[in-house]
Amino acid sequence: MTRYVGRRVARLDARDKVTGRAVFGSDVSLPGMLHGAVLRSPHPHARIVAIDITAARSAPGVAAVVTGRDFPYTFGSAIKDQPFLAIDRVRYVGEPVVAVAAATEAQAQEALAALHIDYEELPAVLEMEDALDPEAPLVHPDLEHYERGSHEIVPGTNINTIYRYARGDVEEGFAAADLVVEHTFTAHAVSHAALETHVAVARYEPAADGYTLWVSTDRPFQVRNELTTALGIPSNRVRLIVGYVGGSFGGKNTLIAETAAVALARHTGGRPVRVELSREEDLIASQLRVPAILTLKTGVREDGLLLARSADILWDSGAYTSNTVGVAIRGAQTVFGPYRIPHLRLLSQQVYTNRAITGSYRGYGTTQVTWACESQMDVIAERLGMDPLGLRLKNGYVEGDPYLNGQIMHGIDLEATLQRAAAEIGWGEPAPDPPEPHLRRGKGLAAMIKPTATPTSSNVVVKVEQDGQVAVLCAAPEIGGGQDTVLAQMAADVIGVPLDAVAISTTDTAVSPFNGPVASSRTTYHVGNAIKQAGEEVRDGVLDLASGVLGVDVARLDLDEGVISEHGVGPRITLAELLGSFGFEGHSIMAEARFTTAGSPLLKAEPGMEWMSSIFWMLATHAVELEVDIETGVVRLIKVAAAHDVGRAINPTTCEQQIEGGVIMGLSNALFEDLAVREGRAGVTGFLDYKLATMHDLPEIVPIIVESDHSEAPFGAKGIGEPAAAATAPAIANAIADALGVRITDLPLSAEKILFALEGDPPETTDRSSMI
Amino acid sequence: MKRLPPFAYFEPATVGEAAGLLAGEPGARALAGGTDLLVDLKSGKERPATIVNLKRIDGLTGVRADGESTWIGALTSVREIEQSDVVGDRHPALAAAAGVLASLPIRRLATIGGNLGRASPASDLAPPLMALGASATVESRSGAREIPVTELFVGPGETVLDHDEIITSVRVPRPAPGMGAAYRKLGKRGGGTDIALVGSAVSVVIDGRVIIEASVILASVGPTPLRSHAAEDVLRGSAPTDAILAEAAAAAAASAVPISDVRAGAAYRTAVSRVLTRRTLRDAVSAARGSAA
Amino acid sequence: MISLTLTVNGADRELVVGANATLLEVLREDLLLTGAKEGCGEGECGACVVLVDGRAVPSCLMLAADLAGRPVETIEGIASDGVLDAMQEAFVEAGAFQCGYCTPATILVAEALLRAHPRPGVDEAKDALDGVLCRCGAQPKVLRAIASLMYGEGGA
Repeated sequence: MTRYVGRRVARLDARDKVTGRAVFGSDVSLPGMLHGAVLRSPHPHARIVAIDITAARSAPGVAAVVTGRDFPYTFGSAIKDQPFLAIDRVRYVGEPVVAVAAATEAQAQEALAALHIDYEELPAVLEMEDALDPEAPLVHPDLEHYERGSHEIVPGTNINTIYRYARGDVEEGFAAADLVVEHTFTAHAVSHAALETHVAVARYEPAADGYTLWVSTDRPFQVRNELTTALGIPSNRVRLIVGYVGGSFGGKNTLIAETAAVALARHTGGRPVRVELSREEDLIASQLRVPAILTLKTGVREDGLLLARSADILWDSGAYTSNTVGVAIRGAQTVFGPYRIPHLRLLSQQVYTNRAITGSYRGYGTTQVTWACESQMDVIAERLGMDPLGLRLKNGYVEGDPYLNGQIMHGIDLEATLQRAAAEIGWGEPAPDPPEPHLRRGKGLAAMIKPTATPTSSNVVVKVEQDGQVAVLCAAPEIGGGQDTVLAQMAADVIGVPLDAVAISTTDTAVSPFNGPVASSRTTYHVGNAIKQAGEEVRDGVLDLASGVLGVDVARLDLDEGVISEHGVGPRITLAELLGSFGFEGHSIMAEARFTTAGSPLLKAEPGMEWMSSIFWMLATHAVELEVDIETGVVRLIKVAAAHDVGRAINPTTCEQQIEGGVIMGLSNALFEDLAVREGRAGVTGFLDYKLATMHDLPEIVPIIVESDHSEAPFGAKGIGEPAAAATAPAIANAIADALGVRITDLPLSAEKILFALEGDPPETTDRSSMI
Repeated sequence: MKRLPPFAYFEPATVGEAAGLLAGEPGARALAGGTDLLVDLKSGKERPATIVNLKRIDGLTGVRADGESTWIGALTSVREIEQSDVVGDRHPALAAAAGVLASLPIRRLATIGGNLGRASPASDLAPPLMALGASATVESRSGAREIPVTELFVGPGETVLDHDEIITSVRVPRPAPGMGAAYRKLGKRGGGTDIALVGSAVSVVIDGRVIIEASVILASVGPTPLRSHAAEDVLRGSAPTDAILAEAAAAAAASAVPISDVRAGAAYRTAVSRVLTRRTLRDAVSAARGSAA
Repeated sequence: MISLTLTVNGADRELVVGANATLLEVLREDLLLTGAKEGCGEGECGACVVLVDGRAVPSCLMLAADLAGRPVETIEGIASDGVLDAMQEAFVEAGAFQCGYCTPATILVAEALLRAHPRPGVDEAKDALDGVLCRCGAQPKVLRAIASLMYGEGGA
């Protein structure tokens, strides 16, 4: 029995957030703080001929003007390819070139106008297809000389990642198939668009020759390491402090506002410098979802049994690799979907282009590959005259199936997600007649699978103070997902204290125990398991202490809601009384734990292939009912049912929040969001034209929590953050195809595209100058 | 945070004083709701040395049923127009346009005078005002003049106003018996409050079984909101059959001269012009029949 | 610089600000009321919404100088003596927020809505709330929070 796990308890951060007292990165203000502004490249690719900072340096209030040459470091988690500020060359529109710090933000912004830069424009790689051309300009001529990890690149080209995978004999599979289909799908770049833009306050610490940063990030230790590695200094010289994060979605995980903040801070004599991106900067110069072109060829037997699939994926990292390398490797794998397919071949290549940086985005490649996989599944079903649900049920993974590397899939229930999502929208029942003759109704569904980063580890410290309050020290910033709350629920149940006695620490890398990132939907599972270990130890410590103090055999004692009871006797002493009795001497019970997934028997796979294993698998199905206006192409969503196999919901409310939020992000990405990039330049400058879904766009959303049984998960809980956004787009496209009989293969699913697909007319591509 | 550049700031108490400030300084800009001007100042698109805030001038707000017309003060917020009983009763197409001009917080700040003075090709208020035969009263130190809204716009962001002229009110004639009007727009998210990819406002006057007067306006398909005389010619003197409405809609679409931009392609705008015009014509005809009954 | 008195959360605050200072800047930087956020600076996201004369407006598009004498309410003025008001409680109960960045603005919009229309229809509520973007997708639970306040537990 659990008191808190599984219950809809109010979130721990609720009070701070409904009163406006929550301190986000953007709210940090320090004495003597200066404000930064950044001059950015107007060109996709150019040589910096000269920078004249004279006038800017003497502009009112200006304290520092810094160029790439003044702070000549580079960083990058997989390839060290990115300068803090451009050095001699700019590689995308929006790249930081000169940073200015001034007494006020207005002065810093004004001073930018006084900067003069001469550029010599260079031929640019503007489209990812062009990057593969042997004659294409090289975005990074020095690629092979950069420090990088062990992944494969192609020297002398723009290919910064190449990954191949094969299993069985795909040609044999195609030969044996009754139907072979091949399609090319494209997934576009979209912005994370967290409402809090990227922001950082950096202070140079002269005594330590290091830095303290107040930042909004979802991976404190990894960003710290990125910075110390770039600067070539020990980890203890950089300290990251993280408060509430105003949304991340995979976006706040590398040096973004931090680059200019740190470079400026080095030149302001210890005065802290704050750099906050404007919405326009955030849209064009932070990072985006990696766009992809995916060609899928699939062979299937007449009865719907999938036999073979080859996938050829091209990813666009933009000008620098950021966190995209893993997307092109790990993210690419799930292009085979949650299905048993014996013969497989994958070629995944990622190229540099002279476009905005892309990176990890909620789903880490899964949204892009799921888009292609699940769109094609419906084409197959249609060609075979099969029910799309039946096709998926026939091929879908079930408990005990081997994954691509032979890992035995454990703790999964894809089938329940398929059945329940489909049932919720009345799958198989005819849609009611639309109210107007120009409207058409349709239904569609899509399934998905996602691994979590494996192996990773989490350390925590759990301590019980003398008044019975429990502090959990961990580095899992509250980015909005309700991390604090679910971790506290688990801690309260494991230890046996009231929920309101548990506090989850904020993150300070100087004192917080190590944690992997708040990413990959890993926090509940990993930090939760670490809390479980440390919490059990603390609980044992409490009972041992009570046993001594009370003179009762420890086996007869129990701790529940902060009260120690003796079996058959009843309550004996509270935790606060027990520890408080030590008075000034003091007595705190503390335990630390490290949880790692490395070495778990669940990861066992074919020799050499264990790296592809995932400690848990996330599965989901989204089912959509919609209406299309055939005269305008406008889609109106009526209902989205989203069934997610989460293992177990620690808190059904926060779980639903993730599912609902994921669906909304997924439909917004799919239908509305478009940076309208032409010639390497985004056509949008803000939310006027970069449209997020709002209240008016939302259908009825039905979150469905499917619980499965995972033997190593804390209280059975897997993860939910990422998969929630992945299946929405293809489910919508499949429903559009059902309604209209036309298949859109490139995102976004704009009304314009739908109308012309329906009419068979190509849209005009005249000059796209801005109207006003 | 995006900061506003420095500027001299005035709060004149009279139209004459405001006009004097504008006349004395070529770089001065009048501030009404500020929902466009402040954005342009932040982005650097505009950099006036002087801002003349009109909001302290008495007598520029409110909606009044004024005999044969409706008077709307130039500084009346879009939200007030949306909620005004007078506008709702007399000019429901204008109320409808006001209700979708932008999100509600912006509608509370934005003003009718600012919306017209801004001369956006995508204006939500200009099309219904044009279709309803409205005119703007414009004042300067040398006096006042009245300009039909159909003659107000020159190009994107440009009106026929002199630099020191200020729109002080808008007058909308009381609808004739048998008149019906309608407004619809299509935004990027389909409907709602997005900036119009295409806007359509029409009015028709039906006498018996025949349309005797018509006005057909399209927005976002040209440098200014535009009037389709060809569509009006199709309608005038005809019975409002589906075929006639469709023919008029096609004529309206043929009058469109859209560009392609980040919001939509020209071909899509043209296609939607036809669809929206047909729908607004149907709405207007049914409203006209209702009003005649 | 301009001297003015702003009435914020019921208290008169004497300020000296630049003519070009927005209400949002003055609230956050002069009065240290950081509940209102900037999400775009263009009035499109609504994270900066506060109540002026009781109506929800984007503070990033208003000059502070233009607001002398008009009552401004921010999220910091909603709870009294640390006691959450009914709307705040409803948001807590329903889980009507995630990252919380847009939450102050969303609550203020909801407060103003219910003051003006104690029983708003769903479309009216959606229209009011449409002006505040929420990237986390808290909208379904925001509607539930408002409904629960109007109709009791679970909403209608």
